[in-house]
Amino acid sequence: MNCIVCVTSVPDTASVIKIGTDGKNIDETGIKWIVSPFDEYALEEALQITEAKGGEVTAVTYGPARAEAALRDCLARGAHKAVHVIGGEATLGDSFTIAKVLAKVLAGREYDCVLCGNKGVGTDCSQVGPMLGELLGIPHVANVTKLDVGDGSFTAGREVEGGLEQVESSLPALLTCQKGLNEPRYAALKGIMAAKRKPVDKIEVASLGIDEAADSFYTVRSLELPPPKSGGTIIQGEDNPAAAAAQLVKALRDEAKAI
Amino acid sequence: MDYKVDLRDVKFQLFEWLPTAKLLEAEKFADWDLENIEMVLDEAVKIAQQQMAACNEDGDRIGAQWNDGVVTLPESFHTAYQTVTEGGWIGLLANPEYGGMGLPEIIGTAVNEFFNGSNVAFSLTLMLTRGVGHMIEGFGTEEQKRLFVEKVLAGQWAGTMCLTEAQAGSDVGASKTKAVKNDDGSYQITGEKIFITGGDHDLTENIIHLVLARTPDAPVGTRGLSLFIIPKIKVNADGSLGESNDVYCNNIEEKMGIHGSPTCTLVFGQNDNCRGFLLGEEGHGMKLMFHMMNAARIDVGLQGCAAAGAAHQQALAYAHERLQSRSWKEMQNPEAPQVPIVEHPDVRRMLLSSKAYTEAMRAILLQTSYYLDMHHLLEGEESEKYKSYVELLTPICKAWCSEWGVQVTHWCLQVHGGYGYTSDYPAEQYMRDAEIACIYEGTNGIQALDFVARKLPMNGGKPIREILGAAEKTFQRAKSDSELMEPAWMLAAALKQIETISKELTKRPDAIQMVLLNAPPLLDMVGTVVGAHLLLDQAMLAKTKLAAILEEKGIGTQDKKAYKEFLTGHAEAAFYHNKVQTAIHFCYRALPTVAAKGAAIRSGERSPFFAIM
Repeated sequence: MNCIVCVTSVPDTASVIKIGTDGKNIDETGIKWIVSPFDEYALEEALQITEAKGGEVTAVTYGPARAEAALRDCLARGAHKAVHVIGGEATLGDSFTIAKVLAKVLAGREYDCVLCGNKGVGTDCSQVGPMLGELLGIPHVANVTKLDVGDGSFTAGREVEGGLEQVESSLPALLTCQKGLNEPRYAALKGIMAAKRKPVDKIEVASLGIDEAADSFYTVRSLELPPPKSGGTIIQGEDNPAAAAAQLVKALRDEAKAI
Repeated sequence: MDYKVDLRDVKFQLFEWLPTAKLLEAEKFADWDLENIEMVLDEAVKIAQQQMAACNEDGDRIGAQWNDGVVTLPESFHTAYQTVTEGGWIGLLANPEYGGMGLPEIIGTAVNEFFNGSNVAFSLTLMLTRGVGHMIEGFGTEEQKRLFVEKVLAGQWAGTMCLTEAQAGSDVGASKTKAVKNDDGSYQITGEKIFITGGDHDLTENIIHLVLARTPDAPVGTRGLSLFIIPKIKVNADGSLGESNDVYCNNIEEKMGIHGSPTCTLVFGQNDNCRGFLLGEEGHGMKLMFHMMNAARIDVGLQGCAAAGAAHQQALAYAHERLQSRSWKEMQNPEAPQVPIVEHPDVRRMLLSSKAYTEAMRAILLQTSYYLDMHHLLEGEESEKYKSYVELLTPICKAWCSEWGVQVTHWCLQVHGGYGYTSDYPAEQYMRDAEIACIYEGTNGIQALDFVARKLPMNGGKPIREILGAAEKTFQRAKSDSELMEPAWMLAAALKQIETISKELTKRPDAIQMVLLNAPPLLDMVGTVVGAHLLLDQAMLAKTKLAAILEEKGIGTQDKKAYKEFLTGHAEAAFYHNKVQTAIHFCYRALPTVAAKGAAIRSGERSPFFAIM
């Protein structure tokens, strides 16, 4: 059973984000790039499936040269091979373009499962997985927290309000993985050592015949940081709680515009 | 408990300052390059933060529990141990033939700083297990290697070293544990060992003890000691586990710190059914044990550095959050708002001193590890030269780093004020856990005696001359830099002090008494000089890197305000700038103590001999 895992590299969640000089991208100076944490669930699931049923895990990413580090990380954890589509800034890129690129790369490959994170940390769009499923013309289930893969079919569970929804369908299929599905493993030293020798297939995005600038669903016009936190206000109310409450309501209504 | 480490400094020291890239070119390290070494470091930090630090408080609060001869550790330790063994981290440096990863010592030192800093009690078991694996690999018979090495290095079985007995602490030669040879070549062991780190626990199915014991008619003292492999559970010829080997843990110590590390009393052969297997030759026990102890001494020094680094990062974060008092610039204004305590000069001094000593320790430990790698890689005279450096620096690594490690944890606790003294913050645990490093693996007093009596005169004093000669060269280079000139001259003065004292001391009629009395301050003086030399060397490199950034960005340093603003927004530039400030601070604050200590020793004061105690 072969699995393809689509990963994206994102700034380490502990990084301090600054806006780049063009106002449309982040300043990459000093940023440490990691595999998007949700993609780690996808990779772990793929590793568990192939460990149980045989087959290979291929990690695929689309991004600039630095994105190769994410693939090496996947290879260190146990992925068998990797494909790097070298292209534009996928981290903040248009979901549809990313999905198109991935669909083109996956076409013609043999796979039973395509696994993605349910979203890329940072942009949080949750779009690439379902778009890719549609473009590939295979069943897809998003936000999976439980997965049983059988021969030619699978049962996936996902949390819905007040319960767990079970979905059955046939393979090949695409699943986007949500926290709770598994506990991603650490890379073992042997894995880190072996990653160096595992193959990474490098493909220039232009060679896929895709124009990155065309037909995008969205473009980033500008980025800005959230306003800095201002100091809190303490309303003294020991002597007259009713007046304090009234003052709080007024502040929430007039200043914070929260009610 | 959170764990933070200055990974940027570790990487600076490894990849920019030390010639790690060149080291990796050796055939022995063909599987490794800078890219995957960096992955190793990143993964190690992740495990330290997510697994080891996560159970550091459990280790302290729940601790090791003894119940009817059985020691258990907190459940969270088991999870962390599984992660470590699955990842192959115990065999980090070991021979690939036995499942090891064959990484260089310098990388092992960096990784073990993270492990020790995030949970030293937990890491002690790893250190001893690794040590036992390396000892059997180095000195065992083929059969012993086959039975033990791979399982120990994989962490399937843990290890310990058993030296101390009730009457034989620093005086190991007074050990009484007996070993009587059986017809089949094994030995019948009887005796009791105390203070055995990780002597019993439930992390592994078996524990392999390396025990010093005395054969019948062996000479008195350390020359009569032999070293034995004594498994907790007997091991069958096919490697499977047999019956109990009559090793009983009848007590664990209640201690000041490292509660997650069981310190055991072990009774061997109370039912006359304890079998041991000679490692090496009879009478060579101490000689062999020193192989393990020397490595362990560097590791223990690393515990001091690791505690300092962790405590400093935590105190630094706290100082940015905690609001108290007004800025010193607004001293006269009672209406001024409270500011983060990191703005108070006294707090800044403590934090920068903590940083400086931590980085000096890290430099000494990494430099020594690099020498160890060179000793292993090279042959003949060159190899011996590096070996002599390691031997000279080992007591400095152990004693200087553990001593100053505790001092740094003290400063960091002090940064917190009253909260630091409570168990709400980790500062007090760092301090309690660090103290033991000054004591075990040979107290710091023993280290100092080893340093002055064995290591300084070694090879006619050549190694110490060469190390201090390197410090002299650093002075020569740094004195022409306007910013580092004065600190460099302070290094020169401290070097002169050491030269003078070594000439004067040996000529005195009471030289032996003076050396015995003053060995620890003598070791401290040399440690401080070496620390300053390495930090200045790093500062010169940092200045070059900083200059390149400033040139690229077109930033000048004349407009102090604009320069400071630039540094605040540019982490890399700020890092290099801080390396320079750190070295300057260390030179001004630490080097004068060399002269002060020198003056005290040269005065010839001997009151401790005369006082009635």
